[in-house]
Amino acid sequence: MKGTTALILAIVVVLLLRSTALSAFAARGIVLDALAFATVLWALRHGASWGSSFGFALGLFADLDAAHWLGRHALALTLLGYAVGRLASILVRESSRTQFVLIFFATAAHQTWAVAFEFSNWSAWPHVLARVALASISSAVLGTAILWAARRLSGQPLFGHASVQPGRIY
Amino acid sequence: MGGLLPPAERRSSALLALYVALSMLLLMIGDRLPQPTLRGVGATLFAPLDRVVLVTDRVAAAWRENRELHTRLTRLELENARLRGVGSENDRLRDRLHLPRYQSLSLTPVEVLALTGEPIPAAATLSAGRDLGIEVGDAVVTSAGLVGRTSEVYGSSSRVVLLTDPNSAVACEVESTGVLGLAKFTTTPRPALLFTSVPFSDTVAVGQRVISSGLSRRYPRGIPVGTVRAVGRDPSGLVQRIELEPAARLSRLRHVFVVPGPERDEGRP
Repeated sequence: MKGTTALILAIVVVLLLRSTALSAFAARGIVLDALAFATVLWALRHGASWGSSFGFALGLFADLDAAHWLGRHALALTLLGYAVGRLASILVRESSRTQFVLIFFATAAHQTWAVAFEFSNWSAWPHVLARVALASISSAVLGTAILWAARRLSGQPLFGHASVQPGRIY
Repeated sequence: MGGLLPPAERRSSALLALYVALSMLLLMIGDRLPQPTLRGVGATLFAPLDRVVLVTDRVAAAWRENRELHTRLTRLELENARLRGVGSENDRLRDRLHLPRYQSLSLTPVEVLALTGEPIPAAATLSAGRDLGIEVGDAVVTSAGLVGRTSEVYGSSSRVVLLTDPNSAVACEVESTGVLGLAKFTTTPRPALLFTSVPFSDTVAVGQRVISSGLSRRYPRGIPVGTVRAVGRDPSGLVQRIELEPAARLSRLRHVFVVPGPERDEGRP
């Protein structure tokens, strides 16, 4: 019950951020992929089951917010949540390098998938590539910095001890 | 096969299969679902939260904006006095030619609660709906120019399709020459607002202003849409490729005005 409430709260916060503060950046060409970042964070912390559940729920609401293609974000974020959740048990989750790489690839995959639905002309690929690369780098840099700052402020690991399985309570 | 996996992994695999199947199903049949109703519920639920999040940002911006607006108001009052004279002269001339007089636009000020769409916002949620008499098809403008058109109206909020939605088009004309075309946003090869369907026989120059022509009966006539930024050749070779700089600053939407669409406006006294 507590987990579900936290999940709903996190989804509301991410969607609000995306439609208010981050949309101003997006309009200037800087896409900070809050959806991919939140899914990676949730999956790293809670494992594959919660990661895919969070990704699906967040994606579904994001799809409803957009005008077209219901299921587009839901599918991509479900797979991302599951993949990161599975990786969380074999990676050093507290490492900033790990977090950077995960956020980078998650954003790249999510953005490529989302952009593919608007892709009607092969001559557009250099621009699409540049857009995905910029979004991946900016999201990874900012995401890693946020996690680093949160770790420093709280003074304790964000994802628990490395020997503890994600999402498992001992 | 499933029996070989630990219970936790079996559960996560089963969940994954369920979510993937649901997502695929939605991708295939999503268009048949009552999406406007679902979005309406979402917009109603999120509107109060959006307002709270935006309060801080709005208060800080309001101070700055207030100073700028005072200056602009004085400048516009002076210009308005001059235009009133020109307007009455224009009315007299139109009367002599037996042409109908231009009607002034009726503006309803509203706040932008949220922008949605990736990577470039293509829709916006407004803080007013049926409660302020807004209807589907009303034009949405800023003081600088056209922003979009209301596509869905709820009780106390509404949804606007922005000029940046590739599925929306605006019938336009070049202000100084009357060359007709369509303003349409494209994402390929890069995001740009284009003035399409203009043959090579029509001359369009960089810097010319493009306004809504009113010919589509969707937008009132004379609303600034953009300024010509670049003129080139369309890949098809049949028409010109004209890029516009949008008149309204779509990246800085805070307050907008809703204008009744031409069909509704005709019933206005």
